[in-house]
Amino acid sequence: MKNKDRLRKYERICTNMKKLVLILFAFLLSGCSHDMNRREIDEINFVHVMGIDYSNGEYTLTAIYSSSQGADPEGGGGDEESSQGRGASPFEAFQDLRLKNKKSLSIANTGCFIIGDSAAKKGIDTCVDFLSRDETVKMEALLFICKDVKASDFINDSMDRGQVVHEDLEAVEQKQKELVTRNDNTLVNILNDIENEMTSLLIPYLIAEENAFLLKGYAVFDKLILVDYLDMNTSSGVNFLKNIIRAYPIYLDDGIGLSVTYSKSKLRSNIENNQIEVEIHLDFETMVKEINSSENIFDFKTLEELTEKQNDYILDIVRKATNYSIETGRDILQLSRLIQNQHSKGWEKYEEDWNSRVSEVQYSFLVNSKVSKSFILRSGR
Amino acid sequence: MENRINSTWLKELFSKSGDVLVRPIKINQNNISVHLFCVDGLINQALFDEAVFRSLKFDPYLAHCSTERQMMDYLQEGGAYHVFTIEEDDYELLIKYVLSGMVALIFDAEEKAIVYDIRMFEKRSIQEPTEENVMKGSKESFIEVMRMNTALIRRRIRSEYLVVETHSVGRLSKTDIALIYISNIADASIVNKIRETINKIDIDNLSTPAFIEEFLIENKHSIFPQIMYTQRPDRVAANLSDGRIALVVDGIPFAYILPCQLPMLMQSPDDYANHFLIGSSLRIIRYLSMIVTLFLPAFYIAATTFQSQMLPVQLALSTQAAKQNVPFSSAFEVLGLLIAFEILIEAGLRLPKAVGTAMSILGGLVVGQSAVSANLISPAVVVIVALAGISGFIMPNQDLSSGVRLMRFFLAILASLAGFFGLVIGIIVLITHLCSLNNYGTAYLSPFVDVEERNIKDTLFRFPIKYFKTRPEDIVHLNRTKQGNGNEKQG
Repeated sequence: MKNKDRLRKYERICTNMKKLVLILFAFLLSGCSHDMNRREIDEINFVHVMGIDYSNGEYTLTAIYSSSQGADPEGGGGDEESSQGRGASPFEAFQDLRLKNKKSLSIANTGCFIIGDSAAKKGIDTCVDFLSRDETVKMEALLFICKDVKASDFINDSMDRGQVVHEDLEAVEQKQKELVTRNDNTLVNILNDIENEMTSLLIPYLIAEENAFLLKGYAVFDKLILVDYLDMNTSSGVNFLKNIIRAYPIYLDDGIGLSVTYSKSKLRSNIENNQIEVEIHLDFETMVKEINSSENIFDFKTLEELTEKQNDYILDIVRKATNYSIETGRDILQLSRLIQNQHSKGWEKYEEDWNSRVSEVQYSFLVNSKVSKSFILRSGR
Repeated sequence: MENRINSTWLKELFSKSGDVLVRPIKINQNNISVHLFCVDGLINQALFDEAVFRSLKFDPYLAHCSTERQMMDYLQEGGAYHVFTIEEDDYELLIKYVLSGMVALIFDAEEKAIVYDIRMFEKRSIQEPTEENVMKGSKESFIEVMRMNTALIRRRIRSEYLVVETHSVGRLSKTDIALIYISNIADASIVNKIRETINKIDIDNLSTPAFIEEFLIENKHSIFPQIMYTQRPDRVAANLSDGRIALVVDGIPFAYILPCQLPMLMQSPDDYANHFLIGSSLRIIRYLSMIVTLFLPAFYIAATTFQSQMLPVQLALSTQAAKQNVPFSSAFEVLGLLIAFEILIEAGLRLPKAVGTAMSILGGLVVGQSAVSANLISPAVVVIVALAGISGFIMPNQDLSSGVRLMRFFLAILASLAGFFGLVIGIIVLITHLCSLNNYGTAYLSPFVDVEERNIKDTLFRFPIKYFKTRPEDIVHLNRTKQGNGNEKQG
């Protein structure tokens, strides 16, 4: 009997609890439905691309979104519209942009942020700070610098030429993915890199050429301020050392074209008598893509010669990156992280005057490579 | 009220019923007459004439009997050529027997009757199952006659342990219900509980299956079916051998199976008729369909009204472009179209087949296309609702399908109130509700909620038959071995 009473009591409590939970849910829902950012999807302008500029003491934000009139229900792309907002800070400019727009603006789907030369020279951290605090922003969004021009001019000129900016930028992303194994210029990566003041921040820069956007290399930031643009070869050298090469073309003088299909680099640091030595071990494989000569290159001797030539070719590229680092004292190879990881005890000694130390780093190289034959075997012409 | 067996009283009782016959038959020279008491149309007249009436009229022994007692004894000892004979002195039982189609001979002086079971009435022949048809497998399905259905089961389980208990339910209808189980496998406590539930049913008439279902289920407020029905005797046999209990109700062309769990309702006879990989794939599709039909409309509302940032860019843009000129909110569009979908289904069911097809074309294609062209609804919503609707019908059990269809309204309303937050609350409520359902001592979500790995071999995936070594642990506590020595590791 006691057990039955207890069971009944327990059931009564459970029933009451259920009612209580239902009432709580009802309250919660009615409370939430008042302000849950309720906005129909057609009342929003999804910003595809945003440009950030700085001039005359104020920031200018240029947003590109699909035109509501020209939207194509089947394709989803349609015409692009742009609008601008101005303010003393990027956030103020963004608020101005929101106010000027007919519809609500959302940067939740923005795939690309272009930072103008002047804004980058003012400081990258100021440009991206408001983005990092937006809960809707896509952290995989890519950041690009536009070389020597304002982002607004870069965007508007492209639109005037009839380019669909966000589609062309998607094409850039695709091309980038064809060459490297990962895009390091995502918002989340850059926000992480900003935290580390020892290394130089590298962000790819864009140039507009013949109705297309081209990636030419890295823009170098020192203390979060744009200081230089690397040329294509130096940037490729950095990519080799960052271990992110997916494919890279090699053009040798004797009419032979090769493509790097595999690459792996290992950086090992040694500290002797306060001198930092970095040993770079680079292994890569190539595949013959083009032979514009009548010679048979697939005999042992010629292949050895070819291997040496391609080693020299890549070594030259990698040396450009290391030489730049030595000449400018900018840690574009993220050596500070390497030393921190490999010599955690001794790192404190170098931390204070790291920038001067970068120029004194001695590099040694060990390059190994292999030439793979193309699928259709054919000795030259 | 007269409770004696007497022909005069019975005549008076049924004087207004043209189909109930109480007729005197004079059978011997000592002027002893008996009264025939039967319902016209429910008896096999030819058999009665041959086996009973002929003996009564022409048997010389009967012609010389001096008392009714002598005649009764003789008739029961083989005087009439029919084996299903009982002597009855209970008035209530006699009425019940005769009204269920038996024939009684009333002996007024003895106040007793001899009852012959020579029932015969018009019935459907055994046909292919309409809902659970399979390519490979039995084509037999239950019909409306209980005894025929129990025979179909008995033919598949030729064990002395198969018990078919007959109960009568309904004050007026006196519907026969067969409680079927395998006595050395089924859990006695569950059998007792179901038997008690049947005996407690106090209703005039069990007119529809839903009546008995409501009496049998333990959680009456849940929209999820807690009792499985099947048209297939082989499915009943398989479940009986798993330790479950079947109920066959006279007048209902399917059997009920208890205790029922959600995974059972997602199983189809096809799963076992095909290779286990094909069976598993079909089952996964069914579960995916359930997720689609439950959550897709709500997800669309939440994603287009509250958290549009969750959509990939291209999808967001195409959804936005499709909705550009539609005057209604996404929630209104989806809920409206879901209701229209239900109306179409109802209309299709009520209308004659030929008109129903035309209705579907008119309603689904013409009206749908016109509504999209007139910018009343966006094409995306049509796709979402159509996908959810079709997915809802993939479930093998129509009761589950109906429950899920109702549930998706609830989730869609929650999503239109608070977006994904509301949807998540809905999912929590749904899962909590499903977890709380108890069906004759077993969890409704069992074996998903079990930690025992051996119990999940016939749930999301259909493992090869060699792995089904034991019966479900939560249903059968003794005699659990199904194959071999029941050792799982030897599988």
